[in-house]
Amino acid sequence: MPDEIFFLCMLHNIGAISPEKSLTIDEITRWTAMEPEKARLNIRKLIETNYIQANINAGVERYHVTADGIRKVLSMYS
Amino acid sequence: MKICMLTWEFPPRIVGGIARHCLGLAKALVKDNHDVHVFTLDFPGVPLYEEVEGVRVHHMRVELGHPSFTTWTFLFNHFMEKQVAMLSRDVDFDVIHIHDWLTTPVGVASKHYLNKPLVSTVHSTEIGRAQGLHSPDSFLIDGLEWWMAYEAKRVIVVSNSMRWELQNHFHVPQEKIDVIPNAVDMTKYQKEIDRESVRRRYGVAPHEKLVLFIGRLVPQKGVEYLIWAAPAIVQRCPEAKFVITGDGWSKSYLEGLAASTRYGDKIRFVGFVSDSDLVDLTMSADVLVVPSVYEPFGIVALEGMVAGVPVVAGNVGGLAEIIEHDRTGVLVHPRNPDSIAWGVNRVLSDPGYSQWLTKNAKKQIQETYSWEAVAKRTTQVYEKACMR
Repeated sequence: MPDEIFFLCMLHNIGAISPEKSLTIDEITRWTAMEPEKARLNIRKLIETNYIQANINAGVERYHVTADGIRKVLSMYS
Repeated sequence: MKICMLTWEFPPRIVGGIARHCLGLAKALVKDNHDVHVFTLDFPGVPLYEEVEGVRVHHMRVELGHPSFTTWTFLFNHFMEKQVAMLSRDVDFDVIHIHDWLTTPVGVASKHYLNKPLVSTVHSTEIGRAQGLHSPDSFLIDGLEWWMAYEAKRVIVVSNSMRWELQNHFHVPQEKIDVIPNAVDMTKYQKEIDRESVRRRYGVAPHEKLVLFIGRLVPQKGVEYLIWAAPAIVQRCPEAKFVITGDGWSKSYLEGLAASTRYGDKIRFVGFVSDSDLVDLTMSADVLVVPSVYEPFGIVALEGMVAGVPVVAGNVGGLAEIIEHDRTGVLVHPRNPDSIAWGVNRVLSDPGYSQWLTKNAKKQIQETYSWEAVAKRTTQVYEKACMR
């Protein structure tokens, strides 16, 4: 499984699946035990494929899995 | 009867056949005057409670998470259990029905604290999907599949080959198992479409032959064998164009494989396609290929047959039970690109033969694979489960 897809699955499983449940880079790296730079790289790739969406909340960038991203995750697990 | 149906997959949260199965079955049960509550996971844009043609659907939020898939599965089972418990104060369920291992914990727990019979539908097994047990998670899933069959009063499987699997791998007694095939919603295919316009959307010109694959891009679906068959198909039928829908963890490998053939430009990976678009695309195809190496049922084959498209399928599992070779479809040797190429070329080269196959297939589907028939047989299973 490509690195960014594994990362996407982790984001899904930790619950970042809606704007209300979006997470900052810090929160994501704490949950996934991933280096921030690696997390940022994966996030960039996933935003390009529309599997992740970024939103700004109180000046802080937060990320969540989109509907397309959820479908991608589900297709990995079945 | 008041039915509590538990499934991780329900539209619009569609992965494979389970979502379509649960929707089709639930709607048909409601038409038979049963009260059906489906508990499933939430999805963006969908309300937490909705009624879909009389089916009461509870989309459930998972309030805690964990990066590990199996841990997350147990977490969502807990939240589902909580929701079932809360609703059961108002609804006295007669039976609990779970689908596949993902809802085993909530199903088993609900069975015991509600003191109601459990019915389990095993759509496929881990040992079949993964062609063996290769990791701790695989062994856990295998254990959960055994457990769901053990705790159930009745076990439903969708084909005789699945029944054989349960008897041989999990030693489930034959008398506990009911074989009820899947069905297909035929009304979806009773429409007129602009075939050329649909094909154009997927890069298929009017003169080209659309060779369609629908399904998850995982090894059990055998897509790599279709790709290996592509050169032999194109040599015989230069107008052949392959459209591969769906997603899965093998996608990158398959895209690389397609690119490595001389016909990479004739093989298009179009990703996830919505249900309604999938109906149009299926109806526009010249042949539907189901090259599975493991297939407990093969609902997509039914969909091809009812759409009036000739089906070429691997001679495995449920596919071998649905399709009568050379009468309602073409069965080919699994894992065999030459055989797949033979089957596809047979169909593409003889329009009269294709038409004859599709006419026979449609008749068979209408007689055997309706959701009404499946719902009646499932109700009989529920009644058996409810007997003391």
